[in-house]
Amino acid sequence: MSKFGISLLRRCSLYLGLAATLLFSACDSGAGVALSSAGGSLKILATTSMIGDIAARIAGPHATVESLMGPGVDPHLYKTSESDVRRLENADLILYNGLNLEGKMGEIFEALSRSRRVVAVSKDITAAELRTPPEFKGHHDPHIWFDVKLWSTVVGPIRRELSSLDPAHAADYVKNAETVAQELSSLDAWVESHVAMIPADRRILVTAHDAFGYFGRRYQVEVVALQGISTVAEFSVHDVERLTQRIVERKVPAVFIESSVPRRNIEAVQKACEAKGHKVSIGGELFSDAMGAAGTPEGTYRGMVEHNVRLILQALR
Amino acid sequence: MNAPLTIILTGALVAASCSLVGTFLVLRKMALLGDAISHAVLPGIVIAFLFTNSLASFPALVGASVVGIATVFLVEALHRSRRLYEDTSIGVVFPALFSLGVILVSVYAGQVHIDTDCVLYGEIGLSNLDEWIVGGKSLGPRSIWVTGGVMLFDLLFVLAFYKELKLVSFDPDLAASIGYSPMLVHYLLMTVVSITVVASFESVGSILVVAMLVVPPAAAYLLSAQLINMILIAIAIAVASSAAGYAFARSVDCSIAGAMAFSAGLFFLAAFFASPRNGLVARIVLRWRLRERLTRQLLLLHLKARVTVEEARTLQPEDLVVRFGWSRSRIDRAVRRLRANGLIESSGGRLWLTQAGKAALDREGTAVLAHR
Repeated sequence: MSKFGISLLRRCSLYLGLAATLLFSACDSGAGVALSSAGGSLKILATTSMIGDIAARIAGPHATVESLMGPGVDPHLYKTSESDVRRLENADLILYNGLNLEGKMGEIFEALSRSRRVVAVSKDITAAELRTPPEFKGHHDPHIWFDVKLWSTVVGPIRRELSSLDPAHAADYVKNAETVAQELSSLDAWVESHVAMIPADRRILVTAHDAFGYFGRRYQVEVVALQGISTVAEFSVHDVERLTQRIVERKVPAVFIESSVPRRNIEAVQKACEAKGHKVSIGGELFSDAMGAAGTPEGTYRGMVEHNVRLILQALR
Repeated sequence: MNAPLTIILTGALVAASCSLVGTFLVLRKMALLGDAISHAVLPGIVIAFLFTNSLASFPALVGASVVGIATVFLVEALHRSRRLYEDTSIGVVFPALFSLGVILVSVYAGQVHIDTDCVLYGEIGLSNLDEWIVGGKSLGPRSIWVTGGVMLFDLLFVLAFYKELKLVSFDPDLAASIGYSPMLVHYLLMTVVSITVVASFESVGSILVVAMLVVPPAAAYLLSAQLINMILIAIAIAVASSAAGYAFARSVDCSIAGAMAFSAGLFFLAAFFASPRNGLVARIVLRWRLRERLTRQLLLLHLKARVTVEEARTLQPEDLVVRFGWSRSRIDRAVRRLRANGLIESSGGRLWLTQAGKAALDREGTAVLAHR
């Protein structure tokens, strides 16, 4: 066999391996998740499971709600599977987060909203309520679901869309939406009261990437992240140094890992703190960009929020 | 147009145009250029964002195209300096550009979600949802227009410069000596590759493009020694991979682009093992045949050398086992074949050359075996 032939084989087997990895990682993530198998006639498709959970509660038995991004899927790295294509094609209503959470897919949805029922659930939120980096006007932080009060504003657009899509059951949707809004409001109060149990000087949440900005703002927790919103720029030595300094100064007892970001990032910070003589524990794994597996308590929006808050309380109190 | 058809057609168009230009890359030992461009475009996207404050795909596409062309020009210029090999030139250029992008993100845009995956790279599964709307009227999926346009552009380029491309791909020195400019043709080719790759990234994402640029041409390279056939086979494999990949994605419900690239890989493996000319199986068969013929030649010459002496009729196959170190079965196969051709005879475990065998050997030498 010629040398060139062998190098070709190597090169191609590299791509084959790469494609296979991509293929099976997409298969493993279980693609879509059925959130309500009630078997209603309407088909509703949500991008994230957080949206899907709220939509399923409002729709009740009148619709089947599915979400594209299953547990542990980073919304920025989501790839469509073949069945997702059909789900997108057949959905009566597509709900997405907006604010650039879905990247290029969000752009396609925005254009599609002119010809089909495609709605960004964040549409009722005004710019003033959003977190925006001062130097980039209009580029808001999309992680709106960790401020429970802010998240309850997604109920409105979902109820309106369902009612206009299916006027016959509008009364049910209004009733369900009220229930959901009330639940969210009591969840908000629950989070507030629990976070209040943490002494004010220890209310500092250290995470891998900047997904908890809204949480921090609403519940007066100082949030410090190793990385910004974009994860393409790997954290620098300076970032670790800055974060370590902060942790040691404030005597932060625990740092947190996230379900969709590699844990070694935050472990690097832990090591750096230890080198400075401050022992910081890992408080556990917070759900950030995706909920837990369907069927578990963390597989609902409420369960996910409660899990995170309990974990934070336990570690920081 | 329905979703599966749009997706297969988009995949086939991307795969075909990538294979068309990829064939020349494989011949130039620059197959990894697509991979390099996929990383190198990052600074283009960041700079486009910093200028326009928009994460829409159009500015990103413009930024990426400019940097894509810069990438291939830098690679070409470095290689042209004759101080570095092709792969080293590629390996030096793209990390430099990618790291520039990373630095720009971390210094200027860490609080905005910006990376190639979410700003530039398209997703083939969404291609039927992304319609091209002009004046309120839908003209069908944008991806078909973009990838179809790229395919047409590539086809026209290759048709217009076929002779030049062929000559500079195989013998740039000859091309230069008879008045063609290999440099001009190479720069043109690299520009076309860069445009093809960046536009395809925007439509279908990176894995499909990177794979189709290399894998079908590589398979075709093993199947044909002629440029035109290589191109046609590469395109055929590319189109088949798109259709087969979709079917595969449907049956196991997985990433469509991944399944298409994977299918191309399977076609390559099939070519690698089963190519009639270059395949592993063909090579093994050829080697076996040559060995067998050599055995027969040596056996004949050995018999001929001994035929004059008295011991001729005393030669036994076991002597050959000792003398040549051949296995008994190898000798038996050779003896059977030579007897069937009437060149030797054996009786009572002894071997000798027949009169006919002796005459033929005197006349033609071992060429007597050429067709037997």
